[in-house]
Amino acid sequence: MLDDREGTRAAPRRREATDLYATVLEVVKRYHGAARITRVSYGAGMPVDRLRNFVERLVALGLLKSEEIDGRPAYDITPRGQEFLATYWKMRAYIEVLESNPDGRASRRRV
Amino acid sequence: MAETRIPRNSQAHLTSVDGDLRAEPHVRITTDGTLTVSGSVRFDGSAEVVGHLTCARFRSGDGTVLIAGNLTVADDIESHDGALEVAGGVKARRVDVDRHLRVAGPAEAEKFEVGGLLEGRQTMKARSVSVGGRFHLEGRLEAESVEAGGAVTLADVSIDTLEVGGTVRIGGGEVRRTIEVGGRFRSDGPLTFGTVEVGGLAEFSDSAKGGSIEVGGLLTAAKDLGFDRLEVGGVGRIGGNANGNEAEIGGKFDVLGSLTLTRGIEAGGSISVAEALTAQQMSLGGSLECRRAVLAETCDIGGQVKTREGLKATRIRLERKSRAHGPLIGQSVEIGRGARVEDVYGGEVDLEERAVAQRVFAARVRLREGAVVDEVTFTQSVEVDTGARVQAPPRKVDNLPPFPL
Repeated sequence: MLDDREGTRAAPRRREATDLYATVLEVVKRYHGAARITRVSYGAGMPVDRLRNFVERLVALGLLKSEEIDGRPAYDITPRGQEFLATYWKMRAYIEVLESNPDGRASRRRV
Repeated sequence: MAETRIPRNSQAHLTSVDGDLRAEPHVRITTDGTLTVSGSVRFDGSAEVVGHLTCARFRSGDGTVLIAGNLTVADDIESHDGALEVAGGVKARRVDVDRHLRVAGPAEAEKFEVGGLLEGRQTMKARSVSVGGRFHLEGRLEAESVEAGGAVTLADVSIDTLEVGGTVRIGGGEVRRTIEVGGRFRSDGPLTFGTVEVGGLAEFSDSAKGGSIEVGGLLTAAKDLGFDRLEVGGVGRIGGNANGNEAEIGGKFDVLGSLTLTRGIEAGGSISVAEALTAQQMSLGGSLECRRAVLAETCDIGGQVKTREGLKATRIRLERKSRAHGPLIGQSVEIGRGARVEDVYGGEVDLEERAVAQRVFAARVRLREGAVVDEVTFTQSVEVDTGARVQAPPRKVDNLPPFPL
């Protein structure tokens, strides 16, 4: 979802694992502590079984936290997760500039 | 309350239901125009309603419900693990859809909450819109708050706050309070805003005007940009003129037109202004390059300044080892120890130890130990300390030549 290139000048770029982690964090953030795995899967455009692996990793790294609500796990982003997103987006913006030619056209080269 | 039930894989023709309506998966309901249900409607799976549907509450489960007309719900629309597609308009108190919501007509609710995709072909009115995935609207959006985690494309907006975690592209309009961009933001048409905070990338393709702008990441404006306060920690590039009250530049800031500020500018980073920089005062620790800089009060330069036509201020102070290319014009000009400048025009010019200047034109001139000047032209006095040097003998004149700027 986050890699929608509409309106940008950059050439299409394959989603890397880091982009997918950021996608999951952004979607979880929207639910303000009540993100359920199925809802996140719709937002992130990712099947639930695959998403579970990503979520487990993010919880292990302290970027997401899990809490039982009505007997089912609900997820929320942690301050470290917010920090990750801030750094990720800033880095993405700089990478885009660095990959652009001086005349403004995007380079075809991929990182 | 009585319940009317439509069995799985069947078709029914209904015009009104007194009580609740429950439809099992894969049903098709036809009506003479509008199907009115006094209670709740519940779809257990995929279904189709050929006509308008009006009810008190709307619930659906796993599957897609298609409404061929308008959907009017007095209370809430809730779709758990389901999707909803409406060929007409939608009106409800609250809309909560897990998968996708597609609306061809106008949509209105207090709150839209969509997990996957929210798509509208016409206008949308809401107090809040929250989308986990994608949000695409072709008509005008009127809302208090809009939050998006994924990709959002909107036409004309009239909203209070916009919080973008993913990517947002808007046609233009008004964001009265805050635009917070963690990801990427782009506006194609003219935009007014309260404040903008950019952690990622923000692009204004047309003119934009608002309150404070804080850029940690990247900001680009293709045309003019108006603001109250501008803070650039990352990189900013303005294609037209930049007008505001004050600016603080820690990163890199380029203006292809003029930069006009009613108050001051503080720059630790680097600023490039193709035309004129005008402000009340400036404190420069980094570098500045412009056609001309005019400060109504003071200018402190700790880094490097380069102008084609000159830098003018009431009082100019160049700190130790700083550099100035282009003429300096001020009532009082102090060139700090070891600083190097070209021509200086002023009422009073003081070159501190080992400062170097090309030509000095002033009423009163003081050269301290080790200072070196090629030429000095003065009207009142010149004081040369031991060890200071003027390459040609100082020249006293009745009137100084006209100052630049």
